[in-house]
Amino acid sequence: MSASGRVLEEFQRRPRPMRLLGASGQLGYGIPTPAFTGGLSRQPDLIGCDMGSIDIGPAYLGSGDMATAPAATRRDLRKVLLGARQLDIPLVIGSAGSAGAAPHLEATLAMLRDIARAEGLTLRIGVLRADISRALVKDSLRSGNIVSLDGMPPLTENEVDAAANIVGQMGTQPFRRALAADIDVLVAGRACDTAIFAALPTMLDFPTGLAMHMAKIIECASLCCVPGGRDSILATLDHDGFELESMAPQRSATPVSVAAHSLYEQADPYTVQEPEGRLDLSAATYRAIDDRRTRVTGARWLPSTDPAIKLEGARSIGERAILLAGAADPRFITQHRDILPAVAAVVRELVCEDSPQDYTLNFRIYGVDGVRMAAPQHEAPPGEVFVLGEVIAPSRERAAEVMRTTKQYLLHHGYPGRLSTAGNLAFPFTPPEISTGPAWRFNVFHLLRTTDPDVLFPLEVETISG
Amino acid sequence: MKLQQLAQVIRSKNAGPRRLTLDVMFASDADYQRAAQSPALSPARIAALYRLAPDDVVVMPYPLGRAIKITLARPVMAGDPGDRDVYGAQQHAPLLEIEI
Repeated sequence: MSASGRVLEEFQRRPRPMRLLGASGQLGYGIPTPAFTGGLSRQPDLIGCDMGSIDIGPAYLGSGDMATAPAATRRDLRKVLLGARQLDIPLVIGSAGSAGAAPHLEATLAMLRDIARAEGLTLRIGVLRADISRALVKDSLRSGNIVSLDGMPPLTENEVDAAANIVGQMGTQPFRRALAADIDVLVAGRACDTAIFAALPTMLDFPTGLAMHMAKIIECASLCCVPGGRDSILATLDHDGFELESMAPQRSATPVSVAAHSLYEQADPYTVQEPEGRLDLSAATYRAIDDRRTRVTGARWLPSTDPAIKLEGARSIGERAILLAGAADPRFITQHRDILPAVAAVVRELVCEDSPQDYTLNFRIYGVDGVRMAAPQHEAPPGEVFVLGEVIAPSRERAAEVMRTTKQYLLHHGYPGRLSTAGNLAFPFTPPEISTGPAWRFNVFHLLRTTDPDVLFPLEVETISG
Repeated sequence: MKLQQLAQVIRSKNAGPRRLTLDVMFASDADYQRAAQSPALSPARIAALYRLAPDDVVVMPYPLGRAIKITLARPVMAGDPGDRDVYGAQQHAPLLEIEI
């Protein structure tokens, strides 16, 4: 029997509180060994790791690349896999490979297969795919079952075709289906982080509200503690509540720190919207057990009558080239709002002599308004600024051409009162223009209404004999 | 008193690619109450500070966490051309100087 079957049978035979180890909120950025080993010594019933997010921007979903370094990702996967095999408990990984589309899932599985063979492990791996076919999205669009999220423009068939990858964010039910298939490791594509930890206990009649609330907290490892950090965290779930304890002795889960974690990356601290329902935290209570542990009760689960899956897609919008430069001349700095459009106009005349403009050119002036989305208009000018130029054009060659031309004309642009007639810019190195590859944008961020979200996420079970 | 002197945490992050969420957290209930009752954190004032329409701002008190949550519509979606902060982690800066 494999790990999930063994653990389920053990709980069915002799019910007891369940211990779940949140090993990492971002697998691939390093899992501190002392806290992880400490967690293993507490005999958890499951190890879970979240591996992805939409917050890292559209590039990874579009390109199919992982955000984390391969060597670091492999090291983390090896650590959690060996830990789970040592205790014969399920290892559950959500949003595999940063964005959870097919290429991310394949890269994660390839690493797991390599590790299993190198370590001589025999494994049953459950794989949940999150890719949603263009045909299904278009059918849903035609039947009026695609809804824009947070003011996103309505989806069109052209955008569906343009998306390099489209994933649906699966909920907890596909995870339950996978764990019921007697597996050692579950690797899911794009998924709600709650599913990683809530699936197993909700197969055993633990209250869904408590399991979901616990899962929402421990998927970030010890981030809910003071001081917050990436060390593993242990949750102990019973039928009335759950207890939280960081596996790093310097981190404390306090009632305020745990309650405050409900704010993190959530628009509403009282509600967590899931594909299969809504988690209501308005009656949640947080009580200190001692100075390092907190007990949480009171979360309620409201099943949805209108299930929906969040779709995420990213498309290429061209090739990007950037310019890195600085300036320290107060006259240039105070006049940059006139200088930059003037240079852009000169460049356009040169590179679009007999064609319409086919690129976008943007500048961010760090020290003035490079960071803030609504910087005050009348701040005192800084002593130095950093100038980041950005071109997005149909081809790599075109983007480089526009960027290089811009560099030269910005360097030598004449403006009223100019004293520094040998050049306006300081280059930190040459070449200061860099081609950074394709530029991506989210073009799908919509809800897919469906009567049966579970069928969108097929399960495959693969056996590796090490 | 400036908000940065009263609060223990002032932070921002994306809540999905089209919204920013800002958390202002306090060390004591008294500090929290003082900020929660201040008109300086009204949606209209926050909207003016970020040059947004008042409808694009939600201010939500969260006494359990001794915190005030502010959610904004992003003028530019995360990662779109012209975005300045893909994770949205530095958009808290305008809050620091608010007088409570």
